[in-house]
Amino acid sequence: MDAFRIFIVEDDLLYGEMLRHHLALNPDNEIYLYRNGEECLKNMYREPKMVSLDYSLPDMSGLDIMRRIKKDYPEIPVIIVSGQEDISTAVTLLREGAYDYFVKDDDVKDRLWNVIKKIRENLQLRSEISYLKEEIGRKYEFRNAIKGNSPAIKEIFSLIEKSIKTNISVSITGETGTGKELVAKAIHYNSKRAKKPFVAINVSAIPKELIESEMFGHEKGSFTGAITRKIGKFEQAQGGTIFLDEVAEMDLSMQTKLLRVVQERELNRVGGNDLIKIDVRLIVATNLNLTEEVKKGNFREDLYYRLLGLPIELPPLRYRGNDIILLAKHFVDEFCQENKMKKLSITESAQQKLMQYSFPGNVRELRAIIELAAVLTDSDKIDHSHISFNAVDTVENLLMEENTLTEYTRKIISFYLQKHNNNVLLVAKKLDIGKSTIYRMIKEKQIVI
Amino acid sequence: MSEKITLYHLDTLIGFVGDDPEAIKNMVRIFMQTTPELLETINECFKLRYSEKLYKAAHSIKPTLDVFGIDKLYATIRKIEQKSRDGELDSEMITLINELNTVLEDVFKALRDKYL
Repeated sequence: MDAFRIFIVEDDLLYGEMLRHHLALNPDNEIYLYRNGEECLKNMYREPKMVSLDYSLPDMSGLDIMRRIKKDYPEIPVIIVSGQEDISTAVTLLREGAYDYFVKDDDVKDRLWNVIKKIRENLQLRSEISYLKEEIGRKYEFRNAIKGNSPAIKEIFSLIEKSIKTNISVSITGETGTGKELVAKAIHYNSKRAKKPFVAINVSAIPKELIESEMFGHEKGSFTGAITRKIGKFEQAQGGTIFLDEVAEMDLSMQTKLLRVVQERELNRVGGNDLIKIDVRLIVATNLNLTEEVKKGNFREDLYYRLLGLPIELPPLRYRGNDIILLAKHFVDEFCQENKMKKLSITESAQQKLMQYSFPGNVRELRAIIELAAVLTDSDKIDHSHISFNAVDTVENLLMEENTLTEYTRKIISFYLQKHNNNVLLVAKKLDIGKSTIYRMIKEKQIVI
Repeated sequence: MSEKITLYHLDTLIGFVGDDPEAIKNMVRIFMQTTPELLETINECFKLRYSEKLYKAAHSIKPTLDVFGIDKLYATIRKIEQKSRDGELDSEMITLINELNTVLEDVFKALRDKYL
């Protein structure tokens, strides 16, 4: 750790020298002694870790100096040392941001040691937190976090890049396991809000009667069981991002309350009267079709438009072509590293088997399949025999939907087009149909590409 | 039987700077340099009836007297501080300032003899 630089601002030469001598007993401390406020302010560029300030200085009051220090260096703790105990002055100083207030008596040296110890511990913690935040930032640097080269995922990269430049709300849709929370985190940790909290709530996991208190907090005694004040997730996310997963599961009365918070940017804790200003970025996700939910009357239309912001639709893994292999290799490397295993490769036949599967559980399912395969193999290769799919027959699942033949045709053609990067000629050839059929369906907007 | 109050003691000072003869000598030197100036200010201000300036000087000298363990003046300097803040430069103040002068003269002599 660097030297712990301390400024002592003291016009009493004896007291100042004594403090300097005392604090210099710890060789980690680097002490600077100034006789007046002006000298101290002139030297603040040295960025001390702490300032011990005599309240009565010849050129200006301790309060004035402290205010000027706090204006430019709000993080630096200022301890006021005063010749006499004056409760009202002490209260004013503490309210204005003094770290502590001491009277010049026998205890002052012990108090200073304690306060220095506390400040050092805080600084250590702060530097650890900042290191961890940087680590998280690196982890969620979106090109590291989200793997893939397919046109579908490149489109997602481009949308993420757009979203991180502003504070626009983002709505992420996609089947289960496509990585909605990962995208939300990637947006947060690459945005200007990265140093502030990312708070996630899974709306469907919280009982209806608790969700308001969970999101907005509550005051002590506001309902049976509210034995202390609770700060809600929105307040926890102050300055950062809140991620509402499975937002379509929210009941209508809670939707009304959320709409108010989103519109007004302020909230009341349950049972509270004070309005609390909120500065959070909102990212929502759902695997349901929100437009459909609005049509069915399950989701408020006004809230839908408020939340929609920049829509990001995550492609199912089966539409991401070769990303399946890229991700499989990444997961196997990660698994081997985490478990201190030898590096494993994936054979051609195993790759082929993976490419022919529809992955209803998407990336999450692929990871589970690969991790199991890595455990099952006895060699340095994952072969097709180690790959096992747990999902029930997907063709049977498709037929269970009981669609019309036209709808099945539309789905099949859409699937092929997405898989083959909208190459109409190739898809027509593979399905053994005329290309004009496909063009007609596109023109009639039965198929959207 | 009442305990005899010593002229000064350096317990507090040693608590701050440790039992380091050089450091103690240095602090005594600073004390001998700054305290007579403050005492002079107190005397002058009393003569000129500058109660506010007197208060400031008394306020400044107070921690120094505590550090050098001049317990005889513990109550005296606080009384001078309080009375000057209240603008009471009366006959009691004369007694208090005289006591301050007398005791400090003895302390200066004792410290000079022992340390300088």
